[in-house]
Amino acid sequence: MGHVWSAYVTSPDTAPDLHKLPTFNPLYGFPEGREERVMIATQEEMNKAQVPLDRRDYCAHLFIAWYKCRRDNFPNVFACKHSKHDYEHCEYGDFVMRMKEYEREKRLLARAKRKRLREEKEKLKD
Amino acid sequence: MAGLCRLCCRKPANVSTVARIISARYATFSEDDLPGLYPKTPQERKTAAKKYGMRVEDYEPYPDDGLGWGDYPKGQDVHDDDKDPHADWDFPEERRNFGELVHIEQDLLSRARPNIYAKSNIPLKKQAMMLGTVLATLAGLFWIGGHFKNFQPVGPKQFPYNDLWEEKGNRPEDVPETKKHYVI
Repeated sequence: MGHVWSAYVTSPDTAPDLHKLPTFNPLYGFPEGREERVMIATQEEMNKAQVPLDRRDYCAHLFIAWYKCRRDNFPNVFACKHSKHDYEHCEYGDFVMRMKEYEREKRLLARAKRKRLREEKEKLKD
Repeated sequence: MAGLCRLCCRKPANVSTVARIISARYATFSEDDLPGLYPKTPQERKTAAKKYGMRVEDYEPYPDDGLGWGDYPKGQDVHDDDKDPHADWDFPEERRNFGELVHIEQDLLSRARPNIYAKSNIPLKKQAMMLGTVLATLAGLFWIGGHFKNFQPVGPKQFPYNDLWEEKGNRPEDVPETKKHYVI
């Protein structure tokens, strides 16, 4: 069912902590390793472009491009709809990754619980 | 035209006649209409009762405590809304009979005024219960909303450069550990 229902009712013991995520090793379950996220805009670039703190994420280079376009085309900010879309698409991808991280944590927690129960069962058999 | 000529040729009305008519039409106030002084002796009470067309036994002025109304009789604090609308009143609009005492504060008791003496059909106990039910329901809903928060199924937002360690005002040499974020 829904994530709220499962977090509060059906399986509160394996509900992920929203603010401390991931608790497992990020490379766990990836034998070939994982691709690191690439930050394109440098700190100096972001400082010069005066990017707000909450926008200094992995899409900051697109944000800078969008706002540069806005500055150059003002007041015709509709001319920047493509760069705005690029930025928002990047943010959407970022959000999807966060959703996947949540789901990974949730499934790993459930898996850890299953493993723990199985071990306890075997201990009782011995 | 003929009418205008007739009006012009008419003898003007006597000034004293006009004054008499006007005073008769508008002069409804005189000091005789005001309430007299508070009656102290039985004789004064008798006179006052007679003045208001009442029996001495029925006559009862407002107490002379500084907020009274002289010898004006005390009326019942009954709003006109609370009087029987189907009774055979002499003045149905005012719900009043001829010769009936006019309350000294009748302007507050007329039907054009809100009925401040009206009593609710709902007993006070039930009113308190209804209010308590509403407040308790609200409090319960607030508690549930505060205890079981709705949330989006997403992890925390990932920021580069060690979660913007420097940008948040920390010294670069104090970085606890370099954090890595992975594509998923």
